[in-house]
Amino acid sequence: MHMLLTELQIKRASFVFLAAMALSVTTSVSYAAPPQASAQTSAKDDPVLRAMQAELDREQAQLLLPGMQRPYFIEYRLDDVASYEAIANYGALVREESSHQRVVRVTVRIGSYATDSSSSRGEGTITLASVDDSPEAIRYSLWSATDDAYKNALRAYSAKQAALKRFEAPPTEKDFAAAKPVVQIGPIVALDLDRAEWTRHIVDASGLYTSDPQVSFFAADVQYSTASLRAQAVNRYLVNTEGTVVRQGYAGYSANISVGGQAADGMQLSRDNGTVAATAKELEAWPAFRQRVIDNLKSFEALRHAPVVSAEDYHGPVLFSGDAVADVMDRLFIPNVEADRPEMGTTARTQGIYTSSFHARVLPEFLNATDDPLTTTFAGHTLLGAYTVDDEGVPAQAVNAAVNGKLENYLIGRTPVRDLPESNGHGRAALGQAARSRSGVMIFKSNAPVSAAELNARLLSMAKEQGRDVYSVETLGGDLAPRVLYLIHPDGSRELVRGAVFDELDNRSLRSDIVAAGDDEYVSNSLGAVPTTTIAPSLLFDDIGVKRATEEQQKLPYYSPPAPANK
Amino acid sequence: MTQRTNKLHSTNRLLVFASASLAGLFVAGVLVPRHAALAASNPTSTTTAAASRPDPGEAVLMDALGAELKRAMASLGSDGAAAQQPKPYFLSYAVDDASSASISAQYGAIANSREDHVRSVDVEVRLGSPAEDNTHGDHRISALTTMPLPLTGDRDSIARSLWFATNRGYARALDGYLKVKTEQQVRAKEEDASADFSAEQPQTDVLPPAPPLAVDRAAWERRLREISSLFTQYPDIIADQVEFTASNETDYFVSSEGARVSNPSQVARLVLVARTRAADGMDMFRAETFEADSPAHLPDQKTIADKANAMAKNLEALRVAPITEPFNGPAILSGRASAVFFHEVLGHRLEGQRQRGDEEGQTFTKLLGKPILPSFLSVADDPTLATFQGTSLSGHYDFDDEGQAARRVDLIKNGVLQTFLMSRLPIASVSQSNGHGRSEAGHMPTGRQGNLIVTSSKTVPESELRAMLIAEAKKQGKAYGLYFEDISSGFAVTTRRSPQAFQVIPLVVYRVYVDGRPDELVRGVSIVGTPQAALNRIVATGDKQDIFNGICGAESGSIPVSAVAPAMLVSEIETQRQAQGTARPPILPPPNATPGEPVSKKGAN
Repeated sequence: MHMLLTELQIKRASFVFLAAMALSVTTSVSYAAPPQASAQTSAKDDPVLRAMQAELDREQAQLLLPGMQRPYFIEYRLDDVASYEAIANYGALVREESSHQRVVRVTVRIGSYATDSSSSRGEGTITLASVDDSPEAIRYSLWSATDDAYKNALRAYSAKQAALKRFEAPPTEKDFAAAKPVVQIGPIVALDLDRAEWTRHIVDASGLYTSDPQVSFFAADVQYSTASLRAQAVNRYLVNTEGTVVRQGYAGYSANISVGGQAADGMQLSRDNGTVAATAKELEAWPAFRQRVIDNLKSFEALRHAPVVSAEDYHGPVLFSGDAVADVMDRLFIPNVEADRPEMGTTARTQGIYTSSFHARVLPEFLNATDDPLTTTFAGHTLLGAYTVDDEGVPAQAVNAAVNGKLENYLIGRTPVRDLPESNGHGRAALGQAARSRSGVMIFKSNAPVSAAELNARLLSMAKEQGRDVYSVETLGGDLAPRVLYLIHPDGSRELVRGAVFDELDNRSLRSDIVAAGDDEYVSNSLGAVPTTTIAPSLLFDDIGVKRATEEQQKLPYYSPPAPANK
Repeated sequence: MTQRTNKLHSTNRLLVFASASLAGLFVAGVLVPRHAALAASNPTSTTTAAASRPDPGEAVLMDALGAELKRAMASLGSDGAAAQQPKPYFLSYAVDDASSASISAQYGAIANSREDHVRSVDVEVRLGSPAEDNTHGDHRISALTTMPLPLTGDRDSIARSLWFATNRGYARALDGYLKVKTEQQVRAKEEDASADFSAEQPQTDVLPPAPPLAVDRAAWERRLREISSLFTQYPDIIADQVEFTASNETDYFVSSEGARVSNPSQVARLVLVARTRAADGMDMFRAETFEADSPAHLPDQKTIADKANAMAKNLEALRVAPITEPFNGPAILSGRASAVFFHEVLGHRLEGQRQRGDEEGQTFTKLLGKPILPSFLSVADDPTLATFQGTSLSGHYDFDDEGQAARRVDLIKNGVLQTFLMSRLPIASVSQSNGHGRSEAGHMPTGRQGNLIVTSSKTVPESELRAMLIAEAKKQGKAYGLYFEDISSGFAVTTRRSPQAFQVIPLVVYRVYVDGRPDELVRGVSIVGTPQAALNRIVATGDKQDIFNGICGAESGSIPVSAVAPAMLVSEIETQRQAQGTARPPILPPPNATPGEPVSKKGAN
């Protein structure tokens, strides 16, 4: 295995070890004018921040193309990303990779808060910066990117002024919301993972299909078995000409297993899932992860032998587990309460389905949705979506998106939309990308939660009343298609079925078809481009369509897999 | 948005391309060697495996490859779901096993530093017959499936991976074959009705694998910081990139024809790129590549630093040099410039696959046995050469990526076209491979260059060549001739839809005046014209051959190549002004030129 720590990283790692001791202490947010160092570490002690501030000061004072406007706002963001990834197939390591990179994103705005050079694509210039803490090299990267960003902004500003002339009425919203400067210097975060141990685990995990007697009898039917480990530590540095200075970091770890193959009729079946956590210690321990793999393999085998869902359409009750609900909300609800500014030339409030749903009911009356990035733990889980200051330097706020089913607020960053002139601390950015309105920790909670037993009882009573079988879904695949779906008979017995898709699972069903919510909140941490957490209870829908998927089945393997030689 | 912005999501390796504007079919010093050249100074590498024992991991891999290949051939078209389907007539496994270290520096600091070990297999499945198979026409890729392989000698896991990839590959080949058969029924007769796969003798030669990669990264990081920081001493250099890569690779090849070959290679490469921008917005760059069989054999720090300083000074001079006027007259291409010119203008057009296919321009297809160069010039491609006059050649290999032994091919003898660079894809005039089927992992091999070597029987000392240039300019009534000291590749367009033009980007060009004035550096020169015309106007060459090592990108991926050529006097070359950017130079001076915040010592931390 390669040890990829440079001298610098090692130094930093030991520093971070000390810093991590203090990690549980909430970092302080101070409003500052002028910026002052109230945190234990001051910006002056950080060579990266010092270099960023020095170049920002120089550019702010001097950057001007004769005869043109000066920038009214400049922001520098440096994303320092350390990552590690290992992948194993069939019980052997096929990839191991670690990297450390720094990307700077420079945003220059011309004009004024009311009307500026920004566009819906997000402005800015990105370039690589050195991973050495060399102030000169970092400033060179910023200098070059600032020059490009300024010239681009000048062009964009005049193009935008011309474009706006096409419309009768000027835009009603400002282009950029002012924000109070924030100074917050958080501890530096580093990867903290026993790589050798986890590499061993994923190698073992990907080989269980053939090595564990509980499952090895059907090893020939497992077409692929892949386990992976991903770890990422991001330190984000932000300075802007309003006086904001922020340094904050997060880490994320995930271990995943993916097994799959085909049923006898050719249907592709797979189980893919894993454990995601904010610290490596919170990942499932090996016995639990191993059990997860065995369970997935057994579930795959059960699916292979499960009957295909009825060819006749079903419309009726379906019980969704918290896991399935989190996926549904991530797809149907959350993106629509993230207020993205529509393209120029429309009177719409936001992009998405809820553009004209402000104060309208979008969920059942008993359901609330609150995005609270300041919630750092829930039922013992560290929440990946938590943060204290967003990526535009605005302190995070808890936002009640839906109250008693009504949409009362959108999540928004510093790009205003109608009725929402200011950021509520939800401007979040993927690595190197512009900030957009994104959720952090979205919590769905019922005013009248019922126990899992009660929810099941209700489902069964619906089955009895309607005199037919109903459905219960445990997990979904990427496109909201059920992965593990049970047909529930009125007598309470259940039968695994395969090959189903949902019909009419949409925002109307979220508003009108949910009849009860459980008290069993499921925590779904997601280590995507922007880390997020969704916490959701199981939900009983009274009218969802279930039908048979229509894809043609692929051919079965043309020849049998090799017999193990050395087992 | 700048180009840089668009490329961001990838690593900074791509940024070198972006910042240096190298694209298309190019030769340029670069980056991650995939199929790298063999140790020049390692004479034992050509001995066979009998002499040295392969390591156990390699033996497991070779065994698994052989056994799975045999099992697949016995099963496909005979067993289970495939019983009704055609049997493959050819199956091969080509494994790339590469360990590499790469470090890049910019503005005097490290931007990226990493080590990597990758092992993958390209499975090639052919259905039908060599006369017509699933690769016909546009369906070449239907033969290919790529899959990562275990990095360790885990036989079961290797076998299972091969099974998965072969099964998938067979399905793709079936699909491709069906399409080929359908299309052949409806299309008009092809101009070139050659077979799709040549008959060759399988090779069996298992060379010992490349040794483990040993790179002192900390030491190289220090060296790169130092070299990169030299560029920051020049306020007009707006960007620099110093890239170091070292790679030890072994390629393995087994086929259903009985081939069993391994091919080790080692390379270390250092690339410097620096960029400036003139007041009128013209971007200019210089690139310099150093190459050796191992990091220890790269030039010492002083040699590289001297080159970096020379590049920087040259860019500063170029930035303020006068812009070229359109010119049509005599010129000298330096040896290095000639090497790039021949690679682009001639070499790519002699690749076998460009002589067939509906989309190809086929410049030289019908000229076999006819003169295409002045009679004093000969061109060979010789991948068996590891070095040339003591310098490592990038384009060296022992076996090509179809398992064929490398061999010297005389492409042009005394000006007369003899043959083409052949993979196992036949063409009307040449039915067999000549050991030039090359590819990057994950691509189908095609005929490619290795070490292109241009020799001349009409040589004069370079001082005399210069005198001849001046005489020729006078004769043509020109005030000056041009001297192309350095050119970079642009792109060679060989398809029918585009004009048969080439573009190489001259980087350093001087006017050589007939009246004895000192030579004058000019900028913004681009060469125009058709390839044959330019080649036929070579009137004499210098007596010293120069070497260009680089990475060449084309449809079968990026592969290391070399070109060797003497300086050439061309009686007439047409140039015009380059299309240029319009962005102004940076508004503010670089940060280290600003008083105030003290800049750190380079390489601190």
